[in-house]
Amino acid sequence: MGGDEKPAAQVDPTEIDMGTDEPKPGDLATDMANADKANATVTNGPINKTPLSWSDITTVVRKPFLKVRRTELYPFVGTTMNDNMVRHYTVGGELAYYLTDVLAIGVEGLYYQRAFREPFDLVARQARRLPTVNEYQWSAALNFHYVPVYGKFAILDKRIVTWEVQFVVGIGAGQSRVIPRDTKFPGFTNFLIQPNIGVGMRFFLAKWITLNAGIRDYLFIDKFEPTNREVGMNDTAELAKKNADSAFINNVMFQVGVSFWLPTSFEYTTFR
Amino acid sequence: MNLKHVILAASLVSAVSATELAAEGRRLNDLEEQPAVRGRKLLVSGRFEFAPLFESTINADFRHIIGGGAKLEYHFGDKFSIGGIIVGSTALNTKLVERIIPTLEPGVDNMTREPSQDEFRLRLNAMPLHGAAYASLTPWYGKLAAFGQAYVAFDFYFQAGISFAQLTSDCPPNICNDPSPGKTNPITMAPPDLNPNNDDPLNDGSRFGLYLGGGIHVFLNDFIALDLTVRDYAFSDNPSGADVSGPRDGPDGAVTSDDNRFVHHLFFGAGVSIMFPTKVKRTR
Repeated sequence: MGGDEKPAAQVDPTEIDMGTDEPKPGDLATDMANADKANATVTNGPINKTPLSWSDITTVVRKPFLKVRRTELYPFVGTTMNDNMVRHYTVGGELAYYLTDVLAIGVEGLYYQRAFREPFDLVARQARRLPTVNEYQWSAALNFHYVPVYGKFAILDKRIVTWEVQFVVGIGAGQSRVIPRDTKFPGFTNFLIQPNIGVGMRFFLAKWITLNAGIRDYLFIDKFEPTNREVGMNDTAELAKKNADSAFINNVMFQVGVSFWLPTSFEYTTFR
Repeated sequence: MNLKHVILAASLVSAVSATELAAEGRRLNDLEEQPAVRGRKLLVSGRFEFAPLFESTINADFRHIIGGGAKLEYHFGDKFSIGGIIVGSTALNTKLVERIIPTLEPGVDNMTREPSQDEFRLRLNAMPLHGAAYASLTPWYGKLAAFGQAYVAFDFYFQAGISFAQLTSDCPPNICNDPSPGKTNPITMAPPDLNPNNDDPLNDGSRFGLYLGGGIHVFLNDFIALDLTVRDYAFSDNPSGADVSGPRDGPDGAVTSDDNRFVHHLFFGAGVSIMFPTKVKRTR
């Protein structure tokens, strides 16, 4: 139709590049270095006009990091945020598989180490009362991740960093151990059912590595050493556990670590 | 080699050089003179920020300090600002205090080392007023998409400066009645009673120290932002008013100035920042 329409064969091949194969994705730093090079300011020299290319037209900037069908290996360390008697430090790890770019399922494991805080000693010295505290030993959970927030920011106008916010919900188990007020009586351990909820941030450093930080609340009912314990009354671990006082605990922990992503690279499946 | 050959050789060299220069020539970029981000909103630069705010201690040992106040800040540019914050607060006993008090003896008994309920409770201090003057650096700014629907600008900032606090404790004379804690009474020459429970807690008055903070602005529109901050007011304090340390770094039976130590008072704050002027400028 339209008699003035040019046949495709008459298009000047020097004006429009009908699309060459995109270079295979390399690492993020190389891509950014290439982009910087391409955008280098022209200061001198003769000017060459280059043909237009489809690759010169970017309508929507692609996400620089894709997670779909990738596995995240996340070793991390953590510390208690809401216990002023005993602070727990954790070393842990999580293995998560991303079903989509925003949904993942994972398993985590944590090992705990305790340290008493200043009020633990103060209460004993000042009020002449020995605090009743438990220590946590380990925990494990099956977690579900959802990533609803995605953004980018500039650091000192020099470098663009992309980041995202993820929510975590999980169910798991753990173990706590009573620290006896009087060491002549034995402590006992508790098996804990531990749901958890959390929120965290992830900063993309390269295509295979991210920096993560977040807060996780482990919720459970723990059993504590009974107040009255003397010879003949709750003096065995079994009796003490039977007559233990229960309390609902929120163990809020701050966690930080570095995630490694497998496979270490990815390919875009959509146009730029 | 005659003059003709010389001129011919010179012409050839010039032509080759010109060709090489042309080959090295870089592509024309019509945007090279243009700003990196056109029409970027200067959300903080050159603006006053006024933020009514709420603040609460994080994980306080003996008393939660909860209050409201305001911060006023002037942003010289995108990255640097100076400001001040002042907060009036009330103090609420923590769960730890609520658990300890019922277990203590109801009346004062100086024959025991155990404090009475009043001796324990009335020695705890409160912080009716605190604040800081600071300089702030905003190295990161950007935008985010939430649930693929809401697109908002944000920035992260870090603050450092000087903190101040007004501390109070209301230990009455019938409780805190030791005239010479830890020392021989100069009048009666009685030896020290080594009972810290009747000493003045020495945990009131004005304090100055270090202030550190870090937070995020989430801009709801061109001049209103949600302001979330974690602040550390660090200064000399003895929140329990008790005998904590002595010359050998252990209790010495008296409350003295040694028992005041450098304590970090960690707060979480949430406020609504209003930027003035409300009309935002844009880059070209």
